[in-house]
Amino acid sequence: MQTLLKILLRYSNFLVFIALEVAAFMLLSRNNVYPRSSILSTANSFVAWQNEQIHEINSYFHLRSMNEQLAAENAALRNQICSMDSAQTGESFHYVPAKAVEMTTDRLHNYVTINKGSKDGIQRGQGVRNEDGVVGIIRTVGPNYSVVLPIINTYTNLSCRFTKNDYIGTLQWNGKDCRFAQLADVAAHMVVNPGDTIITSGLSPVFPEGIPVGIVESSVLKEGDSYHTIRVRLHTNFKRLKYVEIVQNAAQNELEDLHHGLD
Amino acid sequence: MDWIKQIGRYIVVMLLQVLLLDQLQLWGACHPYVYILCLLMMPITLPHSVSMVIGAAVGLVMDIFCNSLGVHTAACILLMFIRPYLIGVIVNDKDRLNEQISLRAIGMEALIKYVVILVLIHHLTVFLLAAWSWAHIGFVLLETLVSSLITISLIISYNALRYK
Repeated sequence: MQTLLKILLRYSNFLVFIALEVAAFMLLSRNNVYPRSSILSTANSFVAWQNEQIHEINSYFHLRSMNEQLAAENAALRNQICSMDSAQTGESFHYVPAKAVEMTTDRLHNYVTINKGSKDGIQRGQGVRNEDGVVGIIRTVGPNYSVVLPIINTYTNLSCRFTKNDYIGTLQWNGKDCRFAQLADVAAHMVVNPGDTIITSGLSPVFPEGIPVGIVESSVLKEGDSYHTIRVRLHTNFKRLKYVEIVQNAAQNELEDLHHGLD
Repeated sequence: MDWIKQIGRYIVVMLLQVLLLDQLQLWGACHPYVYILCLLMMPITLPHSVSMVIGAAVGLVMDIFCNSLGVHTAACILLMFIRPYLIGVIVNDKDRLNEQISLRAIGMEALIKYVVILVLIHHLTVFLLAAWSWAHIGFVLLETLVSSLITISLIISYNALRYK
């Protein structure tokens, strides 16, 4: 008995080591098999709180990439909607997400530069939109970047229609205020009220029908005029333009060839 | 060094570990566990069994933060078990061992040997237990090497700055 005690004392450290390791491995194997104990895991409220704080802080650093991810997802969703629509109408539009890297809003001939080019399949004449509405039309294409002629450029003409009665007009810009554009070619017999909604007409191959453009702000019909003077409040905020989508129409080249054939 | 200072250092190191190092996501293979600095530097005069219990406690707290119950506990107990034997082998001048293990107490050469061996053993144990199979042994070894390198350099630089 005494020798046994002596041996135990002599190897007590080793025995403590073995006992502790056995306990640790029991925790380890239990943890692999049974549900975790809520106190001894990150479900522990202090640890969870701490993790949540860290996550909160971290999420600020990921805002940019999350935005880009959302933009890409939006384009993908729009593509899906289009493929559903195209099954009915025979049109086929495709969306490519891009980012506006440079723009002007205070000149007569404003432009927007975006970070997609011919390498991404961008071609001159394709439409550009964002979440809110129409942005413009691709003017110049480089390998990695393109320049967009926005609707706030005095060169731009965009075919639009009223949602209420499908009446067609041409959107132009007078070079003054980037929040408003003018709708021309609306005949005097047509009744125009402030608040009427304007969308793309779908008559050109650039944009599909129904992309939001703006809302009628005011309309003036002078004595003897045969056309309204209509001021449209644009949906797109060009001062805060960031993420855009390029509208690609599979039939665009074919349609343009046909039109050239007429000339 | 008194115990208040030891505990204070433990809290600071744990904060560094949980708030900063655990958030690192470098190539998925870099998980430095600097919290063992406190265990490595504890005075060797402490009874062996007591130091193993402290190791178990420190490992358990880390496990709670990592959601890996048992992994760090087992590795830290092993670390604290080996420690006195290793010190006996690499430190010749035993006169200064009544204080904590630091650069000042055992010199640079012995400190590097001591830290490198123990960190490698600890990290290898942690990653092996966490993987829980031999199937990923290549990745486990890579993980051990990369993470140990960072842990070792952090612990040595802490000593070099604090106890030169």
